[in-house]
Amino acid sequence: MSPAREEILGKVRTALHRSPDSPVPAVPPAARVRPRAAGPAGAETEVLLAEIERLAGKTRRLASRDDLGAALAELIAAEEVRKATVWATPDLLAWEVPATLRARGVELVSPQADKRLVAQCDLGITGVDLALPETGTLVLRSSPERPRVVSLLPRVHLAILRPAALRADLHQVFSEVKADGSFVLITGPSRTSDIELTLTIGVHGPKSLHVWVVEA
Amino acid sequence: MSRAMAPIDFRANAQRVPATMPAAVQKATTRFLGTRAALVDLLGQELWQTLRQAGHDLRLHAITHLDHYLEQAEREVVKAGGQVHWARDAAEANRIVLDIAREHGVRLAVKSKSMVTEEIGLNHALEGAGIRVLETDLGEYIVQLLGVGPAHIVVPAFHLSKEEIADLFRTKLGVEALAEAQQLTQIARLRLREEFLAADMGISGGNFLVAETGTVVLVTNEGNGRMCTTVPPLHVAVVGIDKVVPDWESLTVLLKLLARSATGQKLSCYTSFITGPARTKGDTGPGEYHLVLLDNGRSRILETPETRETLLCIRCGACLNICPVYNTVGGYAYGWPISGPTGAIFGTQILGTKVAGGLPFASTLCGACNDICPVKIPITEILLRLRRRVVEGDEQEGPMGPTMARTGAKMGALALGTPWLYRLGSRLLKVAQAPFRRDGWLAKLPPPLNRWTMVRPFPAFAADFRTWWRARSREGPRSH
Repeated sequence: MSPAREEILGKVRTALHRSPDSPVPAVPPAARVRPRAAGPAGAETEVLLAEIERLAGKTRRLASRDDLGAALAELIAAEEVRKATVWATPDLLAWEVPATLRARGVELVSPQADKRLVAQCDLGITGVDLALPETGTLVLRSSPERPRVVSLLPRVHLAILRPAALRADLHQVFSEVKADGSFVLITGPSRTSDIELTLTIGVHGPKSLHVWVVEA
Repeated sequence: MSRAMAPIDFRANAQRVPATMPAAVQKATTRFLGTRAALVDLLGQELWQTLRQAGHDLRLHAITHLDHYLEQAEREVVKAGGQVHWARDAAEANRIVLDIAREHGVRLAVKSKSMVTEEIGLNHALEGAGIRVLETDLGEYIVQLLGVGPAHIVVPAFHLSKEEIADLFRTKLGVEALAEAQQLTQIARLRLREEFLAADMGISGGNFLVAETGTVVLVTNEGNGRMCTTVPPLHVAVVGIDKVVPDWESLTVLLKLLARSATGQKLSCYTSFITGPARTKGDTGPGEYHLVLLDNGRSRILETPETRETLLCIRCGACLNICPVYNTVGGYAYGWPISGPTGAIFGTQILGTKVAGGLPFASTLCGACNDICPVKIPITEILLRLRRRVVEGDEQEGPMGPTMARTGAKMGALALGTPWLYRLGSRLLKVAQAPFRRDGWLAKLPPPLNRWTMVRPFPAFAADFRTWWRARSREGPRSH
């Protein structure tokens, strides 16, 4: 072990009058902070989408997967999408998202392609592993099927989720994903107020964020 | 920063603040405080106060069992395939990062805004070795181009006008730029996008380090934090040992407090969680991950129970925003990157009283910082302790106050504690003031007492308290 490590831990222990086998009492209970209670399922989706809209994200509720094709066509036209990359997760494949894009003339880039190729994409489509209505937050896990750059490098990010992803409070989210090596919470499109406090959307992350809920 | 730093002269710095600073500062702080208050109301005062108390207790538990949680975090990071380094001081931390950079032939490093790397002067150390280091937070990017440090720990360039920034971009980047926030932001986006993709190394700090899993938590709004920790093949996180929290339940409480207190957001736009390098082939993310744990005087702060709560700080900046002194002078007067009340208590202890002994006096002790602090740091109590350390010295530092002031204070204490000396003293004072007395005021006193009368007259000494009290008892209480 490094001398720096021993010296720092030694100084900390001396300062605290502790030894390597001093007991550690239980962590003060965080649970006394009342977690948010979930509302009715339909209302929770409303809360999530309203919060994302408030943060300058664009949202849609789709009654079923059959509405996805038309919605994608509209998005492709509105955002002038020529190149896209898509997570290879079961939902997005079952919903035939890549096939729909291809049928509309959009060039597909593998989500595992070189970062420069992914960065050239106009659109990155991801699923949403969990979501928090209260704060308008999307939780995106990381895995070979879910490369992190898809929600980061393309100009537009579309996140598609099912209502089953909704959780009432942050602590439920953490209990499910804390063992992951890496994940991210996304709360609205990237923003800054660094210049004269003028809110500017789209700094380094995607310039626009679309969130769609597929209800059935 | 090292102990060889020149003493910080807060008064002189404050006098050099540009005339435009207070208005710019107050515009920003008013906005932040307003949005913060609205969100606190939305949660309800009762829940907010419960959160603050829990945040305080959890942070205090973490720093008073720090050895345990640091070892736990280290074990978890190693288990996840990361490498952990320990740095006793700024020089050692800079050398560790430089060694990693050299080993990988790094020529360009991109950096996410981090107060701890400002504290150790990491950019300077890397640039000295020929490595380009680019700040990527928009505000930090602007102040880096300008060649200065941050004016606020959350919004570093808030004091600059869009015209000044457009001029800066024209001269430093050689681009035509309109003085318009949207366009200036786009220029920075395009410039930095290329650099993110080309960078050999990403450097970040860490808002929290969760001991339970060894996870570094990074809270940002622009996406540059995600860029720095996702796109380059190598990621180095530099984290102060004070940033440890025990577990994810604790983190929940602290995240609920942080963004609301800092920028008036429920959560910041991006909160990234990093435990180790990318785990499996095909998972994008850096293939190599290093965590540098920095002491740099923090273990010394722990030694004094009365001031150790300094380390509870989560760097939200709320105490800056509410502070009447900060609102008047802005960040640069504090003479080092961490400004405001929290910067004053942290700086005095990290830099030592010989360098930062002026900072505890840069306060009116109004206590607004105590009331707004999301983790309930008793800031003014700590400021008072540190004032005493500066003047009288303690087990950590030698006395720094002018000998005259220290002797005066000792003589005063002796006189007030000895009845006969007190009576004698008050009689002497009455006689001694006679030559200076004009209409019940002492307008001009000889040195060293003129340091008071240069600023305002001193009321003439009327009678000692005992005499006054006896007279008052005889006359009966006055009616007004």
